[in-house]
Amino acid sequence: MPSPILQVRDLRTQFLTDGGIVTAVDGVSFDLYPGESLGIVGESGSGKSVTALSLLRLVPDPGKVVGGQVLFRDQDLLQLSGEEIREIRGRDVAMIFQDPQSSLNPVLRTGFQIDEAMLAHKKATKKEAHARTIELLKRVRIPAAESRVKDFPHQLSGGMRQRAMIAMGLSNAPAILIADEPTTALDVTVQAQILELLADLNRDLGTAIIMITHNMGVVAGLCSRVLVMYAGEIVEEGPVEQIFENPQHPYTWSLLRSIPRVDALRHERLRSIEGLAPDLLHPPSGCRFHPRCPFRIEKCLRDEPRLQEVAPNQQAACWVTMDRARKEMGADDRTDIRPGAGSGLKPGELID
Amino acid sequence: MAATAAAVVHRPAAPEQASLWSDAWRRLRRNRLALAGVIYLTFLVAVAVLALFYTPYRMSEVGVTLPYSGPNAHHWLGADYLGRDILSRIMVGAQISLVVGVGTQVVVIAVGVPIGLMAGYFRGWFDQGVSFIINLFYGIPDLLVALILVFLLGPSLTNIIIAIAVTRWMDMARLVRGQALALREREFIEAARASGAKPFKILFGHILPNSLGPIIVQATFGVPAAILFEAFLSFLGLGVPPPQPSWGSMAADGIAAIRIAPHIVIAPSIALSLTLMAFNFLGDGLRDALDPRQRR
Repeated sequence: MPSPILQVRDLRTQFLTDGGIVTAVDGVSFDLYPGESLGIVGESGSGKSVTALSLLRLVPDPGKVVGGQVLFRDQDLLQLSGEEIREIRGRDVAMIFQDPQSSLNPVLRTGFQIDEAMLAHKKATKKEAHARTIELLKRVRIPAAESRVKDFPHQLSGGMRQRAMIAMGLSNAPAILIADEPTTALDVTVQAQILELLADLNRDLGTAIIMITHNMGVVAGLCSRVLVMYAGEIVEEGPVEQIFENPQHPYTWSLLRSIPRVDALRHERLRSIEGLAPDLLHPPSGCRFHPRCPFRIEKCLRDEPRLQEVAPNQQAACWVTMDRARKEMGADDRTDIRPGAGSGLKPGELID
Repeated sequence: MAATAAAVVHRPAAPEQASLWSDAWRRLRRNRLALAGVIYLTFLVAVAVLALFYTPYRMSEVGVTLPYSGPNAHHWLGADYLGRDILSRIMVGAQISLVVGVGTQVVVIAVGVPIGLMAGYFRGWFDQGVSFIINLFYGIPDLLVALILVFLLGPSLTNIIIAIAVTRWMDMARLVRGQALALREREFIEAARASGAKPFKILFGHILPNSLGPIIVQATFGVPAAILFEAFLSFLGLGVPPPQPSWGSMAADGIAAIRIAPHIVIAPSIALSLTLMAFNFLGDGLRDALDPRQRR
């Protein structure tokens, strides 16, 4: 296996609010390999977006990266000067955002903005940049690219705007593209097109992609590996098929059970995860998922679990894990063990 | 594939929502008062330019006719207390008013915009310092500041512009600061930062273009305020030095004889009022035309 292009170690980001300190990212570590596409999933407030922003030191006030390392090509991005990190942004690590409507400057022509992204890093002369912009717009499949470069953002459709943003992100041929919920604001059909485009670019250009999303479907379609975040921590990590097939953390398991499926049995009811995401001002003791966890044991209330190998290449931060929960409940893989699913098992039975 | 797509997709040659500015201009033309303001101001500028080359009489020549004589066929607006042709002097006075009004705003923009942009974008101690200074300037009576400055620097056109700008830059700085404060949170600024744009580029390449509408409106309202201020200083005798005519000093010249020859006061006053009104109508029109909420 090649060496990772990005190594994140014990990343911690805090927000100083009036109510106190909120640790939005709490000891996150992961590796990203060249050309890989990595998904980071979690619900709102899980810290997935803040993690992405922390990598490039773009966390908005009053947030601050307070600890850890972000090693990119053997330099710690968190230690660089303002000038040095600006050089990295957009050139080596590019980022695209959720709402293409608002990520383009409304009063500047789209093509001009892509030109600027290249000129900011002195990668090209004005003329070269302009030619490359048209090439990039064609690359992201914007029809009539030659005339679209002169359009203002409001003259483009949502999907085209996101394509333009992707073109801008790719303009300096970055090693890593961070996509922060790039499809959330788009129509479903357009979402699929954008994901397909990202997958193509990942394969053809070898750009590593970090995909931030709350949508497990997006991860399944695009990523080879996934990190599941909950309350600022990584709770499970592993290859996508393996996680979908055999999730070990009850949160991942619940998350997968809450996706509507067309092939589900009629009588199977869709289950949401009980309870609310925790208040990060006062995070729960022990395992942060324990107040919402149907399989908690007493240890979960006291001690915080660390990520540990639960299967080859797969890690989960859980004292119980789904395998053990099933075994203790005498259930096999097929039994529906959701709380209240009528399997004869009572919820919270494992609580000792 | 892209080539065939390009061939298939037909686009209208010129989309009607071409740009913010042509859009704004279209809306401005629909506003009758603003349009009247534009027409009057165009006329005024033409008069001011014409006065560089031609006036009916030399504006400083005394005794071209009888002092205090009223409007007649040779002297449309009559003559002042020295027998100087009032029309000629009003034409030259238009130059002074326009230069002071526009010149002041140029200085105000040059000073207020960068300060406001930096204060709003960087916040922190710089913003606190700027806000403190702005409040300090608001606390001092502007007339006093201007009077003292003109007195110290000496009465000249440049010094008057400086003095008025010193009392007026805060409005612009405060407005631009507010714009920057709001815009810095927008996603496209975040996207620009994520693409490695330098702060200078973000301030002048992204935030400024998005603030141009409010800046233009503010500057348009600032012009008549400056013109009025200059007229007021000149009325008090601290304006442009004689024999250079200013509408303010012309009115002051006639005030002693207002009972016997009111036209000496009335003529420059009407010129002043019309000009102030025209700028205010234009400002109102621009505010409506450039309001992004009304776009489309």
